[in-house]
Amino acid sequence: MKVDMDEKEIEIKISGKTLKVKPGVPLIKALWNEGLPEEIQTGCMGGACGACTVTVRFPDGRKGKSDLACMMTTAEGMEVFPYRIEAMPQIPHLIANPNLEKLKKSFPTLDRCTKCGSCTSACPMDIPVMDSITRMQNNEFENVAEDFVSCVHCGLCRFVCEDNVKPHNMALWIRRSLASSEEKLETQRSDSFSTTDDAEEWSFLLPTDPKERLKRAEIFRETGGVPK
Amino acid sequence: MMDWAKNSIDLVNQSRLDRFENPVDNLEKNISNDLLKKYHPDYVGEKRSLKIGPNKGDLPIPLELANLLEADSPLPHDFEPTADLETDVLIIGGGGAGTAAAIALQATDLKVHLATKLRLGDSNTVMAEGGIQASIGKDDSPRKHYADAFVGGHGENDSDLLRYLCENGLKSIDWLAQLGCMFDRNQDGTYRLKSGGGTSTPRVLACRDITGLEIMRVLREAIRQGDTHILENHSAIELLDDGNGVATGAVLWNSQTKKLISVSARAILIASGGGGQLRFGGTTTSNHIGATGDGLVLAYRLGCALVNIHSWQYHPSGFCYPEALVGQLATEALRSLGAQIVNCDGERFVDELNYRDKVAAAIIKECSQGKGIQTPSGKTGVWLDLPMVELKQGKGTLRKLFPGLVHRLGRFDIEPEKNPILIYPTLHYQNGGIRVNRSCQTDIQGLWAAGEATGGLHGTNRLMGNSLLDIIVFGRLAGKSILENIPERKPTTLTALKKFRRSLEGIPKSTRTYSPQLFPDESNWKMEIDKEEQNNQSFSNEGSSFEPPDPFAGRF
Repeated sequence: MKVDMDEKEIEIKISGKTLKVKPGVPLIKALWNEGLPEEIQTGCMGGACGACTVTVRFPDGRKGKSDLACMMTTAEGMEVFPYRIEAMPQIPHLIANPNLEKLKKSFPTLDRCTKCGSCTSACPMDIPVMDSITRMQNNEFENVAEDFVSCVHCGLCRFVCEDNVKPHNMALWIRRSLASSEEKLETQRSDSFSTTDDAEEWSFLLPTDPKERLKRAEIFRETGGVPK
Repeated sequence: MMDWAKNSIDLVNQSRLDRFENPVDNLEKNISNDLLKKYHPDYVGEKRSLKIGPNKGDLPIPLELANLLEADSPLPHDFEPTADLETDVLIIGGGGAGTAAAIALQATDLKVHLATKLRLGDSNTVMAEGGIQASIGKDDSPRKHYADAFVGGHGENDSDLLRYLCENGLKSIDWLAQLGCMFDRNQDGTYRLKSGGGTSTPRVLACRDITGLEIMRVLREAIRQGDTHILENHSAIELLDDGNGVATGAVLWNSQTKKLISVSARAILIASGGGGQLRFGGTTTSNHIGATGDGLVLAYRLGCALVNIHSWQYHPSGFCYPEALVGQLATEALRSLGAQIVNCDGERFVDELNYRDKVAAAIIKECSQGKGIQTPSGKTGVWLDLPMVELKQGKGTLRKLFPGLVHRLGRFDIEPEKNPILIYPTLHYQNGGIRVNRSCQTDIQGLWAAGEATGGLHGTNRLMGNSLLDIIVFGRLAGKSILENIPERKPTTLTALKKFRRSLEGIPKSTRTYSPQLFPDESNWKMEIDKEEQNNQSFSNEGSSFEPPDPFAGRF
């Protein structure tokens, strides 16, 4: 299990600049080591914020892709192009009990989709974006909500769409509209407080002496209430 | 994959059925406060006390933090603030707390600007995985929630703040649901509740393993639908005051243009999060790149006391392999659903759902006693046995409930259904922070604080799911408190900074040239200031609203 730290360096290109870096290093960290922290916009470094969108190609024909740079590691010959996607567009307001008609009214470009599949291949989270557009057109909103559960809103699907369809915006509109629909709120709620012992329990938990306070909290945890 | 650990993986796979069928229940005895003192980084790291300011001479704090708090400002000595921008409320920080506060202030008469170092939502909130606590279960109550968090925080919690948090669980969940957050539900439509480390009853709501992402993407849209002015790529590097101890504005640095902008505000809210990227002693961190403790620095210079900043949370299950994921989290929810922590021999050594500080210390101890597993890059960790989740909860559980984890590991050809993963504690949360009262007010008039930047609420150890609740409850409360208590506009000066600079002259020079540091040292990001006059004409109050031209515009 010896560490191989003498691994030889490889060449990658970032925005046309050639760099010599270690292989298998997170791409963002490789840029940090080279003193190029501003080359790719960076946010969470954990694949959740969608800031560090890039496209990658390999001149030798290996498959390229668009992806999140923080989740990629350096590989021989890779050519990286920062693909910065600016702020989200203005989002239409939520509408209770969403349906296809309301979706189209909020997002008139929905039916421009030509099913080219660019959105699906652009998605770094492997969301079946194009299929989900079809599901939107079929009014299958619960399935759309499920498709987009892990969407980081990097915006790649919107940016690569030459027909100006806004898949991730529509999906979030659907998710939010479904979640905030009145009807559902009532069935979700498991609201069952025992309010009878409130005052007695708080006065037991909040004596003035801090040491006593901790002791009482420990007792309360063990017995599940004020000991009889 | 992971051939280098094949022997140990075999042992884990062999012992799984036995661990499943014969649960050990005396693991609690391995956990004591002595364990913390001997192994927890809070106790064993390099530390010193502060030499100036309100916390002078208090408990020693991590060396890196002390140097940060006693470093000079990056502002040139001849800098004079000339209000480039006038607003009523300046919110510093674009994560959950800042955004919740801004939403609370929408549709009021107050003009609100939110400045964020990165983009709106690029924060620790968006990375939160496990869930949010709220005492809404049948046998639960805010008192039980309080008792769990108070014991977990070693009784160092501010009881007023904690009680307010616990009593606002249900309200906060309702608010989030109305904004459009989808929390996981049971078949009957009720919210699905999980246990977390230290919860005496199931109390954690979640949206799969991407709860923070769900909350942040909803808040981000909600704020954009209102009238908040968003300043992305604007870091706060100094606070302004009126010369008499009232906070009156801030100096922002635009990381794109490198220019400085002075803001005059009647109220300032620090919601700038924590400082995991300070990476004490070279530790790994789960935090986003902007988590450099900026709020602590700004508030301390102005004269705010800090509480419990000797205490930091190390999340027990940070990835230790593969290299690209090192420091990031394997959510505690995996342990809620049965994932076990085992050593190189395939044996359990700790109750996985004990409090985070204790589980972390137990892992560090195990590794230091040669029971860990070494990775090819020389890191040591222990196993988190994920196939156990499938064994306990049924096949397909990981894929269904942890899509984020499965996708991330899939990139590196690791199948969590089949093999355990390697974990080691990672710097995760700033337990302490700026002292606030029950209205989110700091010691300084005109200055409010909310979220991870504050201290007191969580004592010296936070429970899973209490931070997402914290940012919602106290973010909104800060907005409300500002609305009710906002002072009149006052002059903007650098009086407090000048005083702070004088006090620096009396102590040894900090090893750090300036603070806030804004970005991780590891990133080699140098802060440059372009001293050319800010051209007010070109400065947009609206932040970036760039949208590519619609090639089909006019078609409809």
